[in-house]
This record gives sequence, C-alpha cells and structure tokens, in this order.
Amino acid sequence: MAARAATKEQTDTKTSPKTSLAKPWNVIVHDDPVTLMNYVTKVLVQVFGYSKDKAHRLMMEVHKTGRSIVWTGAREQAEVYAQKLQAHHLLTTLEASDE
Amino acid sequence: MSDRMFAVAVDGGFLFGELTPAMIDTLKGVPMLIESSDARVRDRLLPETCSDDEDEAHWRAHAVPELERLFLSRAQVVRRDLATVAQLPRSTNSMLLIPDEHVNAWLAALNAARLALYVLNDMTEEHMTEEGLRNATPKQQEAALRIELLAAMQGVLLGDFDEHPGDDDEGSDDDFDIDGLDDFVIG
Repeated sequence: MAARAATKEQTDTKTSPKTSLAKPWNVIVHDDPVTLMNYVTKVLVQVFGYSKDKAHRLMMEVHKTGRSIVWTGAREQAEVYAQKLQAHHLLTTLEASDE
Repeated sequence: MSDRMFAVAVDGGFLFGELTPAMIDTLKGVPMLIESSDARVRDRLLPETCSDDEDEAHWRAHAVPELERLFLSRAQVVRRDLATVAQLPRSTNSMLLIPDEHVNAWLAALNAARLALYVLNDMTEEHMTEEGLRNATPKQQEAALRIELLAAMQGVLLGDFDEHPGDDDEGSDDDFDIDGLDDFVIG
C-alpha cells in the first residue's frame, strides 16, 4: 500500500506539469541557410492565415535573430501548426510557454 | 537564340523551357532526395521538435508518420510530372510543365531537395555565398549549383511572394549563376 502510494505520488510529480492543458505552447520557427525567405513568408500566410505583412515581419525576425515564436496557444493546436510547418520543411520546434 | 532556362506562366501552370540534361538530372533527383533514408536527411526533414523526451516520443508517434506519408505522396507527384518532360526538337534540352494544382507540392519538394543536398554534402552557411564557395570541394560546388537551380524554380513558382523592396538581402539566394551546372559531369 505504501509502495503504491509512493508510486502514484512520483507519477503525479513527473507528469502533471506536462499534461497541464491550460499551459500555452509556443510554435517556433528557426532560421536555416537554405530555405528561401519568400517561401517562409508564403508558408506562414498559408498555414496561419496571417497577412503578408505580418508573415513577412515574422520571417524577418527568424532571419535576423535566428528564431521567432510564430504562434502561441493550446498544445493540440500548436502541434497541428508545427506539423503543417514541418510539412513545408520549415525548421520548427514546440515548447511550453513560460507565460 | 538563348539556351538559358526560362519559365513562363501558361494557362494551367508554369512552363520551364531549355532545361539542359544536367538540369533534368537534378530534377530527377528531387523525389529520390525526399525519399532518402540517409540519417542526415531524415534528421533535417523530420527534426527533433520537443526538448522533452516524453513530448518528443508523443510527436514521433503521432505527427511524424503522417509527415512521412505526405513526403512520399509529394515525391510521387513530382515523379509523375517529370515523366512528362518533353525534349525540344533539334535540341538536347527539354521542357517541363508544372500544373497549377501541383505547385504547392513542387514548392515543398524543391525545398526538401535543397535541404537534403545541403546536409548530404556537409555544406555550411558559408558555402551559400559565392566567396565561401570558392573554398568548397568540387562536390560541394556542384551541390550548390543544384541548390541554386532548385531555388530558381522555387522563385518562379512563388510568383508574387517576392521580397519587400529594401529588405536586408544578406544571405540572398541570388548570389551566383546556375549556368555552371553543365560544367559538371553528371554521373
């Protein structure tokens, strides 16, 4: 009984931060030296429905700083967006937001 | 008459003309590069996405199989279009029509192939500039020319997604000419 309780407590401690659905997730696009800048802009317009200007701004942030958080929100949707970006071969990662 | 590659928007798609045998060879490599099982290519096309092991395992189990299917499907689209390449009369050059409905597949496929060539030839950011390329190996120089050819085709297919005027063009992809591709022996 004690052993079981200890196991449950350990499991809870380990998984609870990761399974928190409320915590927002960031979709991050990273710079790479091969992908064309205007291709990145087009993909951001296509995937998120952003205006061309906003997509261009985010693309320039990727180009100048090496990365840009292009979307923040629910984990499930973040995964969908990350998958769509990787479908176009944009170097994309996911991370839980600190906010 | 110029024998440089040209591209025009036609009814129903984009027509690429005066494609030399070396250019056709490069294009025929596109589906093979997408389908490559080389770890370097797979690592770039299906990159590590989450820093947490458990999250990454979830990603690998749920997102990656669908991406793999998509890549294979795109390779088939490209291969089918390449099967329609027509050689021009009295010329060794050819033309290729990319139908409008295949443009998105081609754009992504060309990007994948460029990324694959980059990693397979151990290239660095420096190799993407004319100056840096002078110190590259012949194999890397050839890969860079192939990458440039595929970028030129992407540029045509991107149409009105040209850069804003006045952008910082550091790292521009217009740094060198693709005509040198024919100087390499295609084996």
